[in-house]
Amino acid sequence: MRTLLYLFKTAFKDLWREKWINALTVLTISFALLTLSTFVLITLNIDLTLKEWSRGFGLLVYLKDNLPAEEKNLLREYFKKDTDIIEVNYISKEQALKELMQTFKEMSPVFEGIEENPLPSSFELKLKREALQPAHIKEKAEHIKQIPGVEDVQYGERWLSSLSSLLRWMKIIVIILGSIIFTAIAFVTYSTIKILFYRRAQEIETLKLLGASRSFIRLPFLIEGLFIGLLSGIIGFFTIFGLYELLTSRIIEFLPSIKGTVTFFSSALYPVLPFTGAIMSLIGSIFAIGRIRY
Amino acid sequence: MIQFSQVSKYFNEFTLKNITFSVDKGELAYITGPSGAGKTTLLRLIYRAEHPDEGSIRVAGWDVEKLREGAVPFLRRQIGIVFQDFRLLPNKTVFDNIALPLRIHGFHPEEIKDAVTEVLKDLGLRHKANDFPNSLSGGQQQMIAISRAMVSKPILLLADEPTGNLDPDTSATIMRLFREINVRGTTVLVATHHRELFEHSGRRVIHLKDGVIEKETAG
Repeated sequence: MRTLLYLFKTAFKDLWREKWINALTVLTISFALLTLSTFVLITLNIDLTLKEWSRGFGLLVYLKDNLPAEEKNLLREYFKKDTDIIEVNYISKEQALKELMQTFKEMSPVFEGIEENPLPSSFELKLKREALQPAHIKEKAEHIKQIPGVEDVQYGERWLSSLSSLLRWMKIIVIILGSIIFTAIAFVTYSTIKILFYRRAQEIETLKLLGASRSFIRLPFLIEGLFIGLLSGIIGFFTIFGLYELLTSRIIEFLPSIKGTVTFFSSALYPVLPFTGAIMSLIGSIFAIGRIRY
Repeated sequence: MIQFSQVSKYFNEFTLKNITFSVDKGELAYITGPSGAGKTTLLRLIYRAEHPDEGSIRVAGWDVEKLREGAVPFLRRQIGIVFQDFRLLPNKTVFDNIALPLRIHGFHPEEIKDAVTEVLKDLGLRHKANDFPNSLSGGQQQMIAISRAMVSKPILLLADEPTGNLDPDTSATIMRLFREINVRGTTVLVATHHRELFEHSGRRVIHLKDGVIEKETAG
């Protein structure tokens, strides 16, 4: 414990002694983590938007005119048995017209002239989130369309497809960028610790001759690497937090409707950035020191 | 304390060839010879900075050749080593330089403070405790280096040309210090090419030439 305390002190003295190279490393890693967290935050918001939007998402199954009630009931039972469907609502012709008239109140004179209700009765099917895959929904819609008594099936195909595609690409970008950035962090720390290790080569040699164990020699470097990564993660986190607050407050001034629709990481995720920085830097440091030979 | 049995070491050509000698516990002995005779290599073999190509070496009961790499620090903690170029850490104070072996051993800070203060007092360098090595004279630096080697009370002290960079008066002081250390019970082996340091000392002198023991004499 005493030795550990001494090694911590040594590590922090050495960090200060080589403050410029360490500061440069911290800034580089902070920027890398900021870039990554920005992409993750954008992806998170797209995902949340999709989730939010999917709550109201459904298939509209238009029925043929004059479909007997028994067939409508059979259809209802059929939809209820489908595990992808979480809610089945029947909308009669009359209800559909009423809703239409309510939506377009200002055009009521137009509706007054209608003698026969032209709107079809329909089923509104709410799907569970896992089922909201464009290809899957398209297949399901095609299948439902083949059922006797069904006139047509409609859904927000274009929107769903675009948003899902964007989310998929964002996830791919985050994974690729994440891999690159994690490797870069480890490499940057590797280079810094390697330089510091070479600079202290004579000191290390003396320590070995005095009987210092491997851990006595290695620990200060590992602590330095860990601290560099941790500090970078903290700086990266506060920067993205500050930028998020600044940008959202500015955007909300012009677009108040977006308030509540954009979100930051949940508080449980706050330590992720410092933790990631610390771990990747530690890995870089371990490789930089390598095996100490006597 | 030290036993060399038919030890050979070669890099491109033989540096040491068929060396057999021993140093008893509590002895003060010298190794001498011209530059390149193999004195430094011989000392490096003792603290296992080099491996012998042939023969066996025992130091303080340890079979040095068979020692696991992880056990090397434990061997070295039994040995104090003094170099011609002092090898003090320039970014650490005199106090911290001397305290280093005690920190490696894991001593309590209070014990370290007491031990280092006592050593500095003995040397008359207490006022230099917070100075950095580069601000000291060569003689003072070597005295600090010897203190560092001795502060953890090793059973064996090795000195490789300890007076190589010092004037005759300081060299004499350093040699007197080695004799005092020896009187207190530590085995001391000094490698030097300065004949005047061991002449008339009455101690055993091992003469090396071209990697072989030429003769052993009484100084």
